[in-house]
Amino acid sequence: MAKLIVDGNEIEVPAEFTILQACEEAGAEVPRFCFHERLSIAGNCRMCLVEVKGSPKPVASCAMSVRDLRPGPNGEPPVVNTRTPLVKKAREGVMEFLLINHPLDCPICDQGGECDLQDQAMAYGVDSSRFAENKRAVEDKYIGPLVRTSMNRCIHCTRCVRFTTEVAGVPDLGAIGRGEDMEITTYLEHAMRSELQGNVIDLCPVGALTSKPYSFKARPWELAKTESIDVMDALGSAIRVDSRGREVMRFLPRVNEFINEEWISDKTRFVWDGLRTQRLDRPYVRENGRLRPASWNEAFATIASKVGATKSERIGAIVGDLAAVEETFALKLLMESLGVASIDCRQDGTRLDPTLGRATYVFNSTIAGIEDADAVLLVGTNPRKEAPVLNARIRKGWRQMRTPIGVIGENVDLTYDYAYLGAGPQTLADLAAGKGAFFEVLSKAERPLIIVGQGALTREDGLAVLATAAKLAKAVGAVGEGWNGFSVLHTAAARVGALDLGFTPKADGLDVAGMLAPGALDVLFLLGADEIDVPEGVFVVYQGTHGDRGAHRADVILPGAAYTEKSGIYVNTEGRPQLANRAVFPPGEAREDWAILRALSDVLGKRLPFDSLAALREQLFAAYPHLAAIGEIAPADPAALEALAGKGGALSEAPFASPIVDFYLTNPVARASAVMAECSALASGALKQAAE
Amino acid sequence: MIATNWQDRGPLTPFAPPRRRFSFGAAARRSWTSGEEAVIFARDFAASHQRPQPMQRESALKNFLLQFFTWWSGQTLGTRFYTWRNGEFVGEDEFGNKYYRTRGGRKDPALGIERRWVIYNGEAEASMTPPGWNGWLHHTVDVPPTQEDYKPREWQKPHRPNYTGTPKAYRPAGSTLASGRRPQATGDYQAWSPGS
Amino acid sequence: MLSDKDRIFTNLYGLHSPGLEAAKKRGAWDGTKFLLQQGRDWIIEEMKKSGLRGRGGAGFPTGLKWSFMPKQSDGRPHYLVVNADESEPGTCKDREIMRHDPHLLIEGCLIASFAMGAHAAYIYIRGEYIAEREALQRAVDEAYEARLIGKNNIHDYPFDLYVHHGAGAYICGEETALLESLEGKKGMPRLKPPFPANMGLYGCPTTVNNVESIAVAGTILRRGASWFASLGRPNNAGTKLFCISGHVNKPCNVEEEMGITFRELIDRHCGGIRGGWDNLLAVIPGGSSVPCVPAEQIIDCPMDFDSLRNLKSGLGTAAVIVMDKSTDIVRAIARLSYFYKHESCGQCTPCREGTGWMWRVLSRMAEGRAHKREIDMLLDVTHQVEGHTICALGDAAAWPVQGLIRHFRHEIEKRIDEYAANPHSDAVLQAAE
Repeated sequence: MAKLIVDGNEIEVPAEFTILQACEEAGAEVPRFCFHERLSIAGNCRMCLVEVKGSPKPVASCAMSVRDLRPGPNGEPPVVNTRTPLVKKAREGVMEFLLINHPLDCPICDQGGECDLQDQAMAYGVDSSRFAENKRAVEDKYIGPLVRTSMNRCIHCTRCVRFTTEVAGVPDLGAIGRGEDMEITTYLEHAMRSELQGNVIDLCPVGALTSKPYSFKARPWELAKTESIDVMDALGSAIRVDSRGREVMRFLPRVNEFINEEWISDKTRFVWDGLRTQRLDRPYVRENGRLRPASWNEAFATIASKVGATKSERIGAIVGDLAAVEETFALKLLMESLGVASIDCRQDGTRLDPTLGRATYVFNSTIAGIEDADAVLLVGTNPRKEAPVLNARIRKGWRQMRTPIGVIGENVDLTYDYAYLGAGPQTLADLAAGKGAFFEVLSKAERPLIIVGQGALTREDGLAVLATAAKLAKAVGAVGEGWNGFSVLHTAAARVGALDLGFTPKADGLDVAGMLAPGALDVLFLLGADEIDVPEGVFVVYQGTHGDRGAHRADVILPGAAYTEKSGIYVNTEGRPQLANRAVFPPGEAREDWAILRALSDVLGKRLPFDSLAALREQLFAAYPHLAAIGEIAPADPAALEALAGKGGALSEAPFASPIVDFYLTNPVARASAVMAECSALASGALKQAAE
Repeated sequence: MIATNWQDRGPLTPFAPPRRRFSFGAAARRSWTSGEEAVIFARDFAASHQRPQPMQRESALKNFLLQFFTWWSGQTLGTRFYTWRNGEFVGEDEFGNKYYRTRGGRKDPALGIERRWVIYNGEAEASMTPPGWNGWLHHTVDVPPTQEDYKPREWQKPHRPNYTGTPKAYRPAGSTLASGRRPQATGDYQAWSPGS
Repeated sequence: MLSDKDRIFTNLYGLHSPGLEAAKKRGAWDGTKFLLQQGRDWIIEEMKKSGLRGRGGAGFPTGLKWSFMPKQSDGRPHYLVVNADESEPGTCKDREIMRHDPHLLIEGCLIASFAMGAHAAYIYIRGEYIAEREALQRAVDEAYEARLIGKNNIHDYPFDLYVHHGAGAYICGEETALLESLEGKKGMPRLKPPFPANMGLYGCPTTVNNVESIAVAGTILRRGASWFASLGRPNNAGTKLFCISGHVNKPCNVEEEMGITFRELIDRHCGGIRGGWDNLLAVIPGGSSVPCVPAEQIIDCPMDFDSLRNLKSGLGTAAVIVMDKSTDIVRAIARLSYFYKHESCGQCTPCREGTGWMWRVLSRMAEGRAHKREIDMLLDVTHQVEGHTICALGDAAAWPVQGLIRHFRHEIEKRIDEYAANPHSDAVLQAAE
C-alpha cells in the first residue's frame, strides 16, 4: 500500500495502482481515450495528464504507477493534482489536437450520443477551434462485413489494435504509416477473422469503427435498454438489448466479471436481424399436406384430437437449444400429466445424464476459474467456435501466466499455443493411465482444469469418454478441496437448465435417437427443436419462433417467443441460473411459450396448476430451489465424479470432432439472419472479399 | 372513416385532380397591379379554380374578355392589334403556338433587325417553345424549322410543363411521397410463410 | 585551442588507415586489459570524475548513467546499446568516428559493457549509413579476428558486439524507440518509467549511450579522469566534436575543447563567416532541435551545455548551423518543422497533430499569408506540444519554432505586412515543401 495526496485528499492505494486508478479511488475524474482496464497501457492519447508535484511536466496518469512516484523531501506522500490550471490547460490542448483532424460530422455519425470524444470535448475542451488549415482526409477501409470504418474520425488510440492482438488473439488490425499519416487497417484490407471482432465497435471511443448492420438505424437516446442474457452459446453472456418500439435494434455487452467480462461474440452481437425475419407469427395447421394459417383454437383442437387418440407411450417431446427453464418445466409437467415417458432435451445426442449427478454435466471450475487454472486440457472441444468468449479467457490465462494447454481433438488454431496430444479417445485413455508428458504437467499443477466438450460426448462412446476424463481428473488431483477442475462445456443455452429439471427419458422412455427411429412414435412435441430430422409418419407439433427445419416438418405450428420477447431463466454451462428479460413483444399472434403450453393443457384436459409466470416460478423454485438463486452457482457435489470415474465402457477409435460445423449458423435465429449468412459465407471462403 | 376523410382532403393529396399552376397566385399578383374591379374579378376567378384549357372550345366573348383582362392567355389586345398591323405569320409548332415576324422582314427601328414573336396557344409559358423555334426566335438561325428539315438533337428534350402541385411533381429521393411505399417502421418483421 | 596532444580522435579526417594496426599505433586497445583489471567500480568512478556528459544531446553525466545499472544481475542479462542512429539535421560526428576511428568505439563498448556487467552490446546504426556500417563491421570483424572481443578473448571477459542496421527513421534515435526497433517492433518510444536501466532491451537492464560518449571512454581511462576534467570548463569538461555547417567559409568537423567561444571556433577552424561577422544572422548551436540564437547573443558565447542553456538554447549534439543574412529564417525553420512533421511516429496526440499544425502555419508565415494573431497562437501550440508527449520529439519540434518567434517575431510580422500590402502579386517566397 502506498499513500498519496490527490487534490488534497490523502488516500492509500496498492502500490501497483496507476495514478489514474488512484485518482478514481480518490473520486477525481480523469478523462482518457486510449486507456482501457482490460487492455495493455498505451499512454498515447495524453488526455489523462495530471500534475505531480516535483515533476516539471504533466504526467500521463494512466501510464505511471503509484510506486514510481517520489515522496517529498521530508518523506511526505507524493502530491497529485487533477484540477490545477496547468492540468486544465494541458487537457484543453490535447483535446484541441484531437479535434483539429477530427471531422465535425457528429450529426451524421453513428457514435453520436455515445461518443467519448463528444462527451469529453464538452467537459474538457474549449469552445472554438483555432485550426485554419485543411483537415486530414483518410480513406475508409474495408475490414469485414461487421465493422464499418470511417477513418477520418480515428484518433489513433489503438484500442482496437490492442484488443485484436491481446484479447482476440487474431492480430488482424494494425497501424501503417507514421505521424499524421498513420492509419489503422487490416493487411491489404482483408476482413477481420476473429469471432470477437465486434467488440472493437464498443472499444472505439469515437465513430471510426461502428456497427455495419446497425449503421444509420437508430440513435442511442431513442432506444429502450433492457438488461438480459444471451442464448447464442451456453455461456449466458450478459447483454443489453436495445430496442425501439417493437423492434430489437442491437445487442451490446454488459459487464459480468464472472462470465464475459465485457466481451461478447459476433454471433451474440449481430444476430438481431434474425429476430425479424422468418418469424412464426400465427398458428398453422397442416391440411391435405399443406400448412394453412389457423386460429389458436383450431390448432389446439387439432392437437387435442390427435393426442386423445394416441397412447401415451406413442407420444414424445424434445426440448430445443433456446428454450428457457420455464417452458421446459411447463412441458415436463404437461408430459408427466399425459403419462409420457419419452422426453429428452439432448438434441445432439450427448451422453450426459443428470442421474449421474450434477457435477458430471456442468462447468465445475467456473469460467472465472479458468484464470486460476495452472494447466488446461481440452478434450474434444474447439472453444473458439463453441464459446469464443470463454476461449478469450483461456487465452488470457495463457498470456498472463503462460498456462500450459493440452488439446485432444481437432488440431486447429485456437489463438494460443498448445501441446497437441492426439485426436481421439485413445489418447485420453493413455493420459488417464498416466502416460505422456502432459500427465506430468497436469499432476504437477495445483489447479488443473479439464474441459470436456460436446465433440467428445455426442458419440456412441460418449459416456465412456466422460468416465475416462473423470478418471483422469481424479488421477491428476483436479477434484479436491476448493477446486473442481472437471468441466463440461455445453453448446446449447437450454441444455443445463433442462438437465437440471431432469428432462430426460423416464423409465421405459425413448431418448432422442429412439424417438427419431421410424415408427417409434405417433405424436412428437418439439419445443424449438430444429437440429433433428423427424421421420415420416409422425404427427409433429412444433412450438417455436422461426420457420426453420422444425416448422417445415410440423403438422401444427404454435408460434412462440424468442429470447428477447419473454422473461425466462437460462442456466449457463457453469450451472448459473440467469434471468433474461423481455425487451419487446412477440410478433403477431405469437405468445410466450409457457402460456401456450398452459393454454394447450387446458384443451387437453390436463390443466397445468399455474395461471401466471409468477405462479409457475413459485412451483419451479419449490421443486428446484437452486434455480431461485439468480446469478449464483450452486456448487455441484464432486462425489458424483468419483462414481463416474468408476464407470467404464469401450472407447472407439474415431477422432473427436467439434459439433459446431459453422460458427455463424448454429440455431434458428442465426440461420434467419442475413448478417450471419454473410459472415458464414465469408468464413467458408464462398464470398469474395469486398476489398478492391 | 379515416380513409374517407383522407380523400375528402382532396386538393392537399397527391391523388387530387391536377391543379393548374398560378390558379390563385397569378390572379392575386395581377390584383396588385390593376384596379379595384380586377381584384374582384380575380377573386371570383380564383374561387372557380377554372382556367381556360388549350384544347377547349371557348366562347368568343370569353376569349375576348380574357384578352382584355389577362396577359397570360395567348395574347393581349395590344399584341393582337400589333400582330394584325405588322405581323407576318411564319409557322406553327406542335403545341399550336404561332410564330410571327415583322412583315416582309422589315427592320424594327428599336432593334435594328426584324422582330420575331410568338403567340402562345393558351397559357403563356415561355419554356413551351420547342428548341428549333427557340433558335429562330432568338435569331440564332434565320430559317424557321418548318422551312427546313429540322430534327431536334437527342439532348434537346421535348417540353414538359411544370408539374409542381400535381402527382407528377418532382420528389427527391428518400421522400416518402416518391415511392408510394410506406417506409419501414418500428416493429416490422418478415413473417414466415410455409411456401409450398 | 585544443592542442594536438589532447585530441582523442586523431584520425577524424581519415588521413590514416582506420584498420586495427593503425588504430593500435594511434593508441587504441592500449592496456585495455589493465583498465578492466581495475574493476567495475573504478571505471564508473573514473567516468564520474571525468565529468563526461552524454554527447547525444541531453548532456546527462555518462558515469552516473552507468552507475544506474544494477550491480548484481537478477538473472537477466545486461545490455549495452550504442546509439549510432545519428539523424539530427546538421550532425555528422558519429559517422566520422565509425568511418575513421571505429576501434575507439569498439574498445569503448568493451569497457562500458564491462563496467555495467553486460556481455553483449548492440550498435544501432542509422539506415542511411551504408558505408559507415561496412567500415564498422570490418573493424568489428578485425577485433574478433584479433580476439580483442568475442567469447574467448584476450581480455578474459566474454563479450559480443553486434552491429544492427536501422531502416532510417529519425525517431529511432530516441533511446526507447531504438530499443523497440532493435527488438523488431515498430520504432515507437516507450513509456517511462520503467526506464531502460531497469527494463530495457528484451525487458533486461540496458544502457543506451551515444557513439561519442562510448568512444571517448577508453582514452579518458587511459589518460585519467583528471586530464579530461582539466579541459573545458567546470561541469562542461572535456573535448567535443563540433560539426559546423552553413554559411561559413570552410564548414568542417572539428574536435575542440568545451567552452570555446563561438567566435574562436569559427575563426580558427572555419575561416570565418561568409561575408564577415557583420553578415551573421543567427546560429542553431546544437542540431535542428534546439532554438536558434541571434548573432549578437552567440558571437562571444562559450560553446558548452550551461552557457547555451542560459541563452534558452542548448548544445545538443554540437551541430552548429550558421546562417548569414541571406537566409530566409522563417522558411528555414518552416523546413525544420516539416522535418519533424515527417518524422513524428504518430503514437501520441500532441506530436502527431501538433507537428503538422506548426508546419502548416509556419509555411504560410514564410509566405506572409497569415495573421499577426496567429504568431501568438503558434507559440501557444508549441507550448501545448512541449512536455506533453511520450518522448522528446515533441519538445524538439516545438523549440525551433519558439526560438524563431522569440528572436525573429519582427521578421514574421514584416512578412505578413508585406503580403497584406500586396496580396495579389506572386508570393513573396515559396513555401517550404
